[in-house]
Amino acid sequence: MSARSARSVPGRGAGGRGAAAVAPATEPVLRLQGVVKTFPGVRALDGVEVEVLPGEVHCLLGQNGAGKSTLIKVLAGVHRPDAGTITWRGAPASFADPQAAMRAGIATIYQELDLVEEMSVAENIFLGHEDRRLGFVRRAQMARRAREILARLGHPEIPPHRPVRLLPAAGKQVVSMGRALSHAARLIIMDEPSAVLAHDEVANLFRIIRELTAQGIAVIYISHRLEEIREIGDRVTVLKDGRTTAANLPARTTPTKDLVSRMTGRTIEYVFPRRTAREPGEELLRVEHLSRPGEFADVSLSVHSGEIVGIAGLVGSGRSELLETIFGARRAAGGTVRVNGRALRPGSVGAAVRAGLGMAPEERKSQALLLGEPIYRNVTLAAFGAYATGGLTNAARERAEAERVAGQLDLRPRDVRRPVGTLSGGNQQKVVVGRWLLGGTRLLLLDEPTRGVDVGARAELYELIRELTAREVGVLLVSSEVPEVLGLADRVLVMREGRVVHEAPADELDEGTVLDLVMAGSLMEEAAV
Amino acid sequence: MSATEAPASPVSPADERTTTGPGRRWGGLSETALRNLALVGVLVVLVIIGAVTRPDLYGDPVRVRDNVFTILEQASVIGVVTVGMTFVIIGGGIDLSVGAIVALAGVWCTTVATQSYGTFGMIFTALTVGLCVGLVNGGLISYGRLVPFIATLAMMVAARGLAASISGKQTQVSENRTINAIASTDVLGIPLLVVILAVVVAAGWVLLNRTTFGRRTVAVGGNREAARLAGINVTRHTMLLYALSGLCCGIAAIMLTSLSTSAQAGAANLYELDAIAAAIIGGTLLSGGRGSIIGSLLGVLVFSTITNLFAINNLATEVQNMVKGGIIVAAVLVQQVRFKSLTTIFART
Amino acid sequence: MTQNRLNLPRRRLLFGGAAVGAGALLAACTSNEKEPTSAQTKGPEAGGNANANAGRQVTIGFSAPAADHGWIAAITNNAKAQAGTFSDVTLKQVEAGADAAAQRAALDTLIAEKPDIIVMLPHDGKELNASGLKAMQAGIPVVNLDRAFPDALAYRLQIKGDNYGMGVAAGTYIGNQLKNKGVSTPVIGEIAGIDSLELTQERSAGFKAALATFGFTVANRRAAEFTADSGQREAANLLQALPKLDALWNHDDDQGIGVLAAINRANRTEFFMVGGAGSKKAIEDIQADNTVLKATVTYSPSMASSAISLARLIAQGRGLADLVELQVPKEIILASETITKDNAGDYLKLGF
Repeated sequence: MSARSARSVPGRGAGGRGAAAVAPATEPVLRLQGVVKTFPGVRALDGVEVEVLPGEVHCLLGQNGAGKSTLIKVLAGVHRPDAGTITWRGAPASFADPQAAMRAGIATIYQELDLVEEMSVAENIFLGHEDRRLGFVRRAQMARRAREILARLGHPEIPPHRPVRLLPAAGKQVVSMGRALSHAARLIIMDEPSAVLAHDEVANLFRIIRELTAQGIAVIYISHRLEEIREIGDRVTVLKDGRTTAANLPARTTPTKDLVSRMTGRTIEYVFPRRTAREPGEELLRVEHLSRPGEFADVSLSVHSGEIVGIAGLVGSGRSELLETIFGARRAAGGTVRVNGRALRPGSVGAAVRAGLGMAPEERKSQALLLGEPIYRNVTLAAFGAYATGGLTNAARERAEAERVAGQLDLRPRDVRRPVGTLSGGNQQKVVVGRWLLGGTRLLLLDEPTRGVDVGARAELYELIRELTAREVGVLLVSSEVPEVLGLADRVLVMREGRVVHEAPADELDEGTVLDLVMAGSLMEEAAV
Repeated sequence: MSATEAPASPVSPADERTTTGPGRRWGGLSETALRNLALVGVLVVLVIIGAVTRPDLYGDPVRVRDNVFTILEQASVIGVVTVGMTFVIIGGGIDLSVGAIVALAGVWCTTVATQSYGTFGMIFTALTVGLCVGLVNGGLISYGRLVPFIATLAMMVAARGLAASISGKQTQVSENRTINAIASTDVLGIPLLVVILAVVVAAGWVLLNRTTFGRRTVAVGGNREAARLAGINVTRHTMLLYALSGLCCGIAAIMLTSLSTSAQAGAANLYELDAIAAAIIGGTLLSGGRGSIIGSLLGVLVFSTITNLFAINNLATEVQNMVKGGIIVAAVLVQQVRFKSLTTIFART
Repeated sequence: MTQNRLNLPRRRLLFGGAAVGAGALLAACTSNEKEPTSAQTKGPEAGGNANANAGRQVTIGFSAPAADHGWIAAITNNAKAQAGTFSDVTLKQVEAGADAAAQRAALDTLIAEKPDIIVMLPHDGKELNASGLKAMQAGIPVVNLDRAFPDALAYRLQIKGDNYGMGVAAGTYIGNQLKNKGVSTPVIGEIAGIDSLELTQERSAGFKAALATFGFTVANRRAAEFTADSGQREAANLLQALPKLDALWNHDDDQGIGVLAAINRANRTEFFMVGGAGSKKAIEDIQADNTVLKATVTYSPSMASSAISLARLIAQGRGLADLVELQVPKEIILASETITKDNAGDYLKLGF
């Protein structure tokens, strides 16, 4: 297997952290071999190899869609692998459900922490395995043990009786880790734990991680931020397309370009339609100095008719918030949005729609569709008023228009009276895009348009988005998948921590450069040196 | 809203679950039609029970007609309230204040002062009071961001209090012959109250199924965020829904005043529960986004028929209330089971 | 464009004007001028007896539940009006709130203010027994109005109506009328009040017992909610159940307004109806004799007026002038009277 060939010598680099260096000879606490997990239409894991030593921080690196989250869920007992073996503390293991994984000593801290906001810190730590006698929860006992655990985590100042909702994000994370410790976890999986934290809180998180590993607990650490991996990680495993492309690279010394090159160049190539060399038309959208505190600051950009502008950035970089603010779904704190030269009323979706804007939001099901309603009513959701006379809707016209759009978009199945909830993800997305094609939208804002869409349907969506430009429609596209942005967009903006850090024509950028900018690495600097 | 997680894998399994069956349709009938048909079935069963237990009554065509009209008349007031309630629930809300609004509008339109303005003054007062209270509800909920349950619960208490204070806790008798005659007038042999109910139901049906207002209602209740991002003014529409419910209560107040030739602060007791229950067994989803005016009407008729069935057989009211509770639970259970079995059928095909 | 801009404020103004106008009209419409209920009081000048002479200045504390019904409203109004007729009485009324707990709290406040005597209509006799005891132990005599305390130590005087007697009166009147008409197997209907209340059960028991002495039974009994609309609903259905009816007893004249509306709607005249409580409207209807309502049996809120009069005497240490005893008796149960066309004129002033 090619992954093996890339394996380098395990063990800590010359990082100079004195604590309990683990010799390579140590028996791994966890070993995954050839793990496969398929969902209809996609192989999410296609032979993953991972080996985690006790007391190490093992980093998982990979682009969106590389299979990291699926891998976590397999380890946490949410998904069961279709093939491959999991060796846990020297014995083959299979976790039927999350409780089983928890009992075995694997704790997972998800990005959206699964705490009960209204319960106290102690209750959350011992949720599901409360200390009880004769059916009564022993509160004092629990509070005492919670205090011990919090002290172990270096946070004795958190009161065990305080409701979790009153804690800051970092405090909640500590409680999540406390829960892991209360289960005597031997392995803690952290999924992008720093995404919700401020800068100084990250330092504190690292201190906790070091204390955990000093106690022999292994940590699987997932992050897109290379500098964090360099600081806290011991070894790195890189995933791509559900496969391990490199295992056990030393976290500190492996050059960035080696890491990035193993993440890029995906083997499942999405077929991007050929760019037609055309001059972009007049300017449709001009955004100047747009800001929302805590989300993004001083963003300026423009989109011309027939042009696709892509925004690359991680979750939390402010890109979705930016899109929603342009669309009026959030009110800007400062700056202007102009469409065809005229300023849009801030905070009004209606004004944006009337000005010719349309948006396909990130969360299709919760933000865009009426799942129980027929397809045609979803297609005409923003336009039914235009077909109505005197307030009376025109169902026949709506169906006819929806059928026309369904034909254009090659919607399958074509019957527009079916509930939209019965369609596949790709076809649902076509319905959302189709909605805006009806109303004569000139500028389309697409937020993660291919999220949850299988490979075949993606190609169709790409085709569709490209076709829009032929009709003089401008597109502003947001995606976490760098190849998608590069393959579709004419011009690319890179966002990091709420700011546009780079802007260039797409054909002047490559995946590695963008990935590096997105992850705040130093590839550009290294190249410059 | 903000920082949501990036896609886990290219495909989440739920997205890919496609059904190949003909959607939520069965034998050419929509689910709503099926549900309504089932309620008609319940009504038929209730009538059969009535006919078996009281053959003397059901053997005489004149008495059958009178009894049917009595059932319909009794259903008319709560029926009008339920139409408004159905809109509110489909739009994702709830209105606990309907009974109190009916009582308040009734009391306000039968004060000595209002009665001195004559028939038109009384009707205008009842409708205006209903509409205004509805607007206050809507304003609190849409602009004041109060939870509908809390806002209308507060209104329920406050409106009854205001009604008690206006009426001086007395029963106010309507001396207006025209108002009193509404309930005792027949139009082409059909009681006027029943005609009013039919008109309101027809108007409600058109409003829900054939107008942009109805479409916005379904959209706002089905997925508030999606409606907002499609450019629908969700805040204003929410406000209008409660105003509509209030207006229906105003109409109902006139009908009730006419029916009982009086009004008082304690009138229309627990109408909110009857209206919600009727809407629910009529197939309106309490979480919003789906509902049927015809279903609501059938729900009201089922309750009204049960009351009548118990009365003509001289059975105690407490048993009647237990049966009503049982029917609500049964109706919802049957709907769930049927929906489940439909989905499993499609999963297999 | 400019025109539009001008139009908008004007439209707003028009709309605003209309709204203000409607508001003013509505506000005017809450006015409820009616003649005060002076008929149910009996001032000192009316009696012309020894009790009428002004005595020591006394303060009477008064507490009754927040009214949700004409009868309770009349109780409070009567008490206030009766106190007003005495120059030597100050009435201190406390809001009793919506439930027994609230009334208990209100009474605690009242006891602390040390009035000479307390008159109270409890939410529930059992639940407020302790409050009665507390006042008595504090040396404040208690007059219990209508809802008895189980504990005899908790009151100085109890004055109440007779619910069972009401049923008996209605049953006796109906029985006699039907017997006189020579109906041997009459069809009798009954529209009761809120069925979960003890008083409703007592009324129905009295009615049943009285009818039984004539060998009659109730053919159909519906329970309403003491409101006109519920009375209408139950009556409409009851009339469908009984195509021919000889007599109908309706427990409460307030809900009777709706019952009569249902009867008129059904064009039914073949029977006669008896009411309950004795409201002014019912007595007027009986006197006019143009409806099926031929009689009503009283449960009069005038007892509140009597309670104030008696409380005054107790506080002043005086007895009833016509009685030999030097003190007011401990218990007075009002007889339920039957008002018919013949005596309606006498009772009209007691109607509420």
